[in-house]
Amino acid sequence: MVEIWYAILSFMLVMFLVLEGFDFGAGMLQFVVGKTEAERRLVIAAIGPLWSWHEVWLVGFGATLLVAFPAIFTASFAGFYLALFLLLWCLILRGVSIEVSGHIADPMWRAAWHFIFVVSNILLAILIGAALGNVLRGVPLEANGKFALAFFSNFSPYGRVGILDWYTVSVAVFILVTLAAHGANGLVQKTSGPVHDRSLRLAVTLWKIVAALLVVITVESWQVRPEMFHGMIHQPFGWLGLAGIFGGLVFVFTGLQGNREFLAVLGSSAFIAGLMIAGAAGVFPVMLRSTIAPENSLSAFQAAAAGNGLTAALIWWPVASILAVTYMVFIYRHYRGKVEPEQDAQQPY
Amino acid sequence: MEDTLFWSRLQFAFTITYHYLFPQLTMGLAWFIVYFKWRHLRTGQEHFGNAARFWARIFGINFAVGVVTGIPMEFQFGTNWAGFSNFSGNVIGQTLAMEGMFAFFLESAMIGAMVWGEKRLGPRNHFIATVGVALGSWLSGYFILATNAFMQHPVGYTTAPDGTLRLDHISDFLLNPWAIVMFLHNQCAALVTGSFVVTAVGALYVLRGKYPEQASLFLKTGTLAGLIVCLLVAFPTGDRQAKMVARYQPVSLAGMEGLFHGGPNAELEIIGQPNATTGRIDNPIYLPNALSILAFGYSRAKVQGLDAFPADERPPNIELLFYSFHIMAGLGTLFILLMALANLQRWRGRLEKSRGLLWALMLAFPFPYIATTAGWMTAELGRQPWLIFKLFRTSQGVSDVVNGGDVLFTLMGFTGLYFILGVLYLFMIGREIAHGPAAAKLEVSYG
Repeated sequence: MVEIWYAILSFMLVMFLVLEGFDFGAGMLQFVVGKTEAERRLVIAAIGPLWSWHEVWLVGFGATLLVAFPAIFTASFAGFYLALFLLLWCLILRGVSIEVSGHIADPMWRAAWHFIFVVSNILLAILIGAALGNVLRGVPLEANGKFALAFFSNFSPYGRVGILDWYTVSVAVFILVTLAAHGANGLVQKTSGPVHDRSLRLAVTLWKIVAALLVVITVESWQVRPEMFHGMIHQPFGWLGLAGIFGGLVFVFTGLQGNREFLAVLGSSAFIAGLMIAGAAGVFPVMLRSTIAPENSLSAFQAAAAGNGLTAALIWWPVASILAVTYMVFIYRHYRGKVEPEQDAQQPY
Repeated sequence: MEDTLFWSRLQFAFTITYHYLFPQLTMGLAWFIVYFKWRHLRTGQEHFGNAARFWARIFGINFAVGVVTGIPMEFQFGTNWAGFSNFSGNVIGQTLAMEGMFAFFLESAMIGAMVWGEKRLGPRNHFIATVGVALGSWLSGYFILATNAFMQHPVGYTTAPDGTLRLDHISDFLLNPWAIVMFLHNQCAALVTGSFVVTAVGALYVLRGKYPEQASLFLKTGTLAGLIVCLLVAFPTGDRQAKMVARYQPVSLAGMEGLFHGGPNAELEIIGQPNATTGRIDNPIYLPNALSILAFGYSRAKVQGLDAFPADERPPNIELLFYSFHIMAGLGTLFILLMALANLQRWRGRLEKSRGLLWALMLAFPFPYIATTAGWMTAELGRQPWLIFKLFRTSQGVSDVVNGGDVLFTLMGFTGLYFILGVLYLFMIGREIAHGPAAAKLEVSYG
């Protein structure tokens, strides 16, 4: 039961990072790949009408974490207080900018909202990356299962840690570049014309940086949390994750070189999913590692909810997910292929 | 700790009050759009299609602000109310997660296509998407109300050895009688907001002599639906809600009514100012025996006053609770009168010529927002000092690792951000209303 919920939560996080990761990545590249206003509209159109559906995977992840592992939910949400509110404000600004920028056909209006859109996407990728870094590095969890984390301390990943330190910032940069590269792959597939060509050139460069940063992150993680790699190679899911990472990279480079656009998107999705799966398998069963004392760490087995809650949720959760995907397919059929903003029923004025 | 509790309460109250200004219109307006679209599908008359598109654009803006202000609510369960989430997460986490999984996925998949995708989806699928958004928003409302109902009237749980709550029977928890009654009352209230907004835009267009087809349509549907839901929100749903409070939360009822001292033949205060020092209502205008009759059905029924309860179990803010309840009930009564008058004039064929009434209908739209806010304040203040009624105090629920300064920091952030969001919202909606429905027509016919 505990393993199933751990897997479900990992799956939801993968869905969020792959789907909304494309939206973040494409969004942050908006000014780089789109030079004219029409081209920038094209980037928003490529993100498409389902961006909020993508975001629901994050909302669903949070609430499912509360159902399955309430101790982790409460410890981490309260502990990451300020960082989470920064994340929220960026989500608010980003959501609003997508919605309202399209309403008014005015260059200043558009420019202002596109700027907010780009900046909030960059900040979101950094914050999410830093959050993942914190979970990997561990937090100063006390024996009572609580912690409070300063935004930054002396930037050392050991001892008195903060939300931002050398390790978590490295992870944040890695995630930022990875999502940008993933977004570029998606834009290659969804657009045509100058945006497509610029995205393609950018994607090749970005993926080379991703490959280089992967080595750096691996070395750093080895220093900060060596047992993760031990866990990874002793779990079938760890191997699946590693296959995703390396298979994904191969797909990305062959896809980008051979103009097989879908293959490249598949590759970058597999790469991101692989990172998450390998990480999740590597740290299992420790969900929140304590940097103060190993015995304070919260494992999935300790944190799991008891009683009938998980049994009930195991019945409704699959039903809800299948329905969720059905809705997505119902809408997505109409938006396949390259985007054409002029096909929108309502035009700005 | 005290500071954290105070600022966390203020932050939650502020963010939830602000947030709920938007979903109530979402839930109220959604079925109007479904209706206009359905008429368009049936009759093929373009003014129905234009009406649907016009409201869909407004709906889209409203929905977006509702979504982005809604996400902080879920986060705050963990960030500010970790004690509460730890204590009851096993139970209330169910409905919060179900809301995300069942309702948000439905709404979020359909909303983009509903606002922008009519040409791509074609008439039939676009209609389905519109119904999907409406259903999703109502489903979301139910799950949230079931969560709140657990806080008002906890059922379906057991207590674990470590003192926290565990889910026992999910059906008891989901079908909490409090949830069902409150859902019906709340949804009727959301439809009141929707009706008043549709009516107000119709009245504006009539007064300006613009878009005559849609102006008549908005006035007609708005006032007709408005009268029905104004009646339903009072009776039976509001009445049932009050009876439930009388039965399960007598102390809240005493606070709502400002009944410091209980007894038979309890009077119903229409207006007055509670004076906690003297334990009396100052300058009262009241109906004798009416509270006994309303709560229990006969005039000699004994209604418990605040004095029947220990001091630490009484709602601490009697004054605000009293005013909230009376503002809600008073406005609800005025809404019925206004909508009845509008329907009478419409039936006589004179509504569009009654300029005074049209002015009143146009300016009345903010009041349902005030009434719903006051209604929620009644529910939430009446529950105090409990976070989960009789089980868990509000003061126990707050996150103890977060300090007051952090919360004030984020509260100030929300205040600034939400102020800008509010200005933006009013600007965008005003612009859509000024632009009007005739311009919302689809440029290219279905391929």
